[in-house]
Amino acid sequence: MTDAKAQIEETVKANDVVLYMKGTKSMPQCGFSSRVAGVLNYMGVDFTDVNVLADDAIRQGIKDYSDWPTIPQLYVKGEFVGGCDIITEMTLSGELDQLFAENGVSFDKDAAEKIREANG
Amino acid sequence: MSRTEMIETRLREAFAPRELVVRDDSERHRGHAGFQEGGESHFHVVLRSEAFKGQSRIARHRAVHGALGPELVAAIHALSLDLGE
Repeated sequence: MTDAKAQIEETVKANDVVLYMKGTKSMPQCGFSSRVAGVLNYMGVDFTDVNVLADDAIRQGIKDYSDWPTIPQLYVKGEFVGGCDIITEMTLSGELDQLFAENGVSFDKDAAEKIREANG
Repeated sequence: MSRTEMIETRLREAFAPRELVVRDDSERHRGHAGFQEGGESHFHVVLRSEAFKGQSRIARHRAVHGALGPELVAAIHALSLDLGE
């Protein structure tokens, strides 16, 4: 196992919700990363952000780890959930709420409803 | 062949879609990271195909990535996918 893979595995297993993104949750560097971080922030989800721009080995490593070519990538309880398109769809359909609820991740249900109302 | 044509051709061959829209969104991203002069850096694809029946969202996206091939996926800065049956 490469160092990057071991490091990724440790991070996604030690933290309930992890977002691999370009930039940080407070200062995203890409529109797609910004959108997913924005949804999680708005829903009050406590998540760990990993800035792939700060580490080339992780930037490539995360793509190999999930066999997924793009960033951002969201992990819940060690499982890859999806990228920007999938997270957006799951937010609007309520599936993301369900996933968080099933995994004991606390979030603001009212905020999630507001996102859906604004995009309904 | 332009990237737009390559994307269309490969997706038609792989999924025989009943609906396919490949939109070059590059102009909307002028000045953003990854913008390339001449466009063809940012794409939005709408694809409806029977082939996606019973597949998870991740499986659908993976199937599209696979059909496009790693070189094309890597060459495109941003690919937004709206996939359904």
